Amino acid sequence: MSRKEYDTFILIDPAMVPEEKETELIVRELAPADRRYKYRSTYVTAVISKSESKYPDQLWIRLGKGQLQEKPWSIKVLKELNKFPKG
Amino acid sequence: MELHSVYKDNREFIKALEAHGELVTVQQEVDWDLEMGAIVRRVCEKKLAAPYFKKIKDYPGFEALGAPLATYRRLAIAMGMDPKSSIPEISDEYVRRTTGTPIQPVLVDRKQAPCKENILLGDEADLFKLPGPMVHDGDGGRYLCTWHFVVAKDPDTRMINWGMYRQMVFDEKTMVGPVLPFSDMGKMFYGKYVPKNQPMPFATVIGCDPMAGVAACAPSPIPEDQFTGMLMGKPVELVKCETCDLEVPAHAEIIIEGEVIPNSWIEEGPFGEYTGYRTTPREPRTIYRIKAITHRNQPILTVSNMGVPTDEGQLLRSFSLGLEMRKLLESQGIPITGVFMLPESTHHMVVVGVRPIYSNIATQIANLVFGSKLSPWFHMVIVVDHETDIYNKDEIIHALATKCHPIRGIRKYEHTVGTPFYPFAEPDDRRWSRGAQVLFDCTFPLDWSQADLPIKVSFNKVYPKEIQERVLKNWKNYGFRD
Repeated sequence: MSRKEYDTFILIDPAMVPEEKETELIVRELAPADRRYKYRSTYVTAVISKSESKYPDQLWIRLGKGQLQEKPWSIKVLKELNKFPKG
Repeated sequence: MELHSVYKDNREFIKALEAHGELVTVQQEVDWDLEMGAIVRRVCEKKLAAPYFKKIKDYPGFEALGAPLATYRRLAIAMGMDPKSSIPEISDEYVRRTTGTPIQPVLVDRKQAPCKENILLGDEADLFKLPGPMVHDGDGGRYLCTWHFVVAKDPDTRMINWGMYRQMVFDEKTMVGPVLPFSDMGKMFYGKYVPKNQPMPFATVIGCDPMAGVAACAPSPIPEDQFTGMLMGKPVELVKCETCDLEVPAHAEIIIEGEVIPNSWIEEGPFGEYTGYRTTPREPRTIYRIKAITHRNQPILTVSNMGVPTDEGQLLRSFSLGLEMRKLLESQGIPITGVFMLPESTHHMVVVGVRPIYSNIATQIANLVFGSKLSPWFHMVIVVDHETDIYNKDEIIHALATKCHPIRGIRKYEHTVGTPFYPFAEPDDRRWSRGAQVLFDCTFPLDWSQADLPIKVSFNKVYPKEIQERVLKNWKNYGFRD
């Protein structure tokens, strides 16, 4: 299975982001099968690593004002969280 | 000159733009992912004709119009005026139309409403079926709603509000964006719905007729559906929504219906904002959950691109803010000669011309405009005398640099209402919408004697009339072209 590509916004100092620990975050899918859904946001529980290869999928990092960091991290999405009632 | 616009929809406006050379039809396919936004941004920065995108990648059957009203020329066309009309002419016409009796909208049957040509409910109502652009690289999401308005109704007074509140697509059913508590919709939502933990019905209108867009930008006390009628010179045609007790313009391109969710927030932004900066960070903001999408056949999305001047948000907000100030000051009998808010200031700086017939008149002007509901959106007032052309930037800079005393002429106002968008504000002040404002009084004190008053040295001021006339008559004979 090919590697999925996500990004997320980190609102704290990236050095303070906990690695290899279950974390709740919002990810955006960057290369979905149907391109119309690019940038769709989802709340997930995941483990992340600053190593690009540790987890199955790629995670690009943006800071609070959108600044893209040079190197991607990696992520394993454990669960998608439904935060909203069905519309 | 035709004086009243009769463009019932955006499509007629597009034809008018084309007829006046203000449209570039882009037949080449463009990508909604940054390419379309980059084109619109460059158009704004170069003040070029509006791009009309005929093919959008991944979205066959959809079209888009960029920068619909980013110049005064396009505003004049939208108002049915000569495209060469000057800013004072357009301003006077706007004030004339919007002073007097409001024009009530009319309700039409859904069969007469093109916005009902396609009705998507349930799972079909999916925001990703619309070509929301990724406007700037680094934005927090796709901003489907950049040139649009959100309809909401006061639950007690039934008063309607149309306002431009940016909306980012989060997922298929969710949009998110800032609703500032001092805005008209913010007062309704936070004041009346949130305390009861009640969702607020909303309808987002994309691709409206140009006057409805102008009205949605205008901070007028007149409800925008009636204000639009005044600008158009005839009632705006509305149609009932599918899922709530709201009405929307029948000829709009796309309608998104749903509810604003109380007491719950999700992250929104960042976004390239109207100040020309990405100032506010990604943070929790107001949630819109959608229930229905309706749209015309071959719908045309409208796309604005906020950034450095000049886009339509800056131009129209400056235009209408300045003119609402003019109405306010005239209603108070202040002997002003005009009000002009510079769009290049991203509606932060307003110039007021006045006949300084009594002392401290500039302070009175500043107190009035800073004390009004308009005030969170600007923080600099420059008051010049009646001999300064308020539309001439050279003259304003000259007056500011030569007539404003660095201590006596500058008056600071502290602890005012601000916005989170001010790039100069402290981060904590942005978070709490706290502001500060300043007056630049560029009038000479009245208690100076004639002997102490500096004399302006200009062609018009320091030469006898007959010399001026002789020089002007012979100007081309001297060898000058203009």
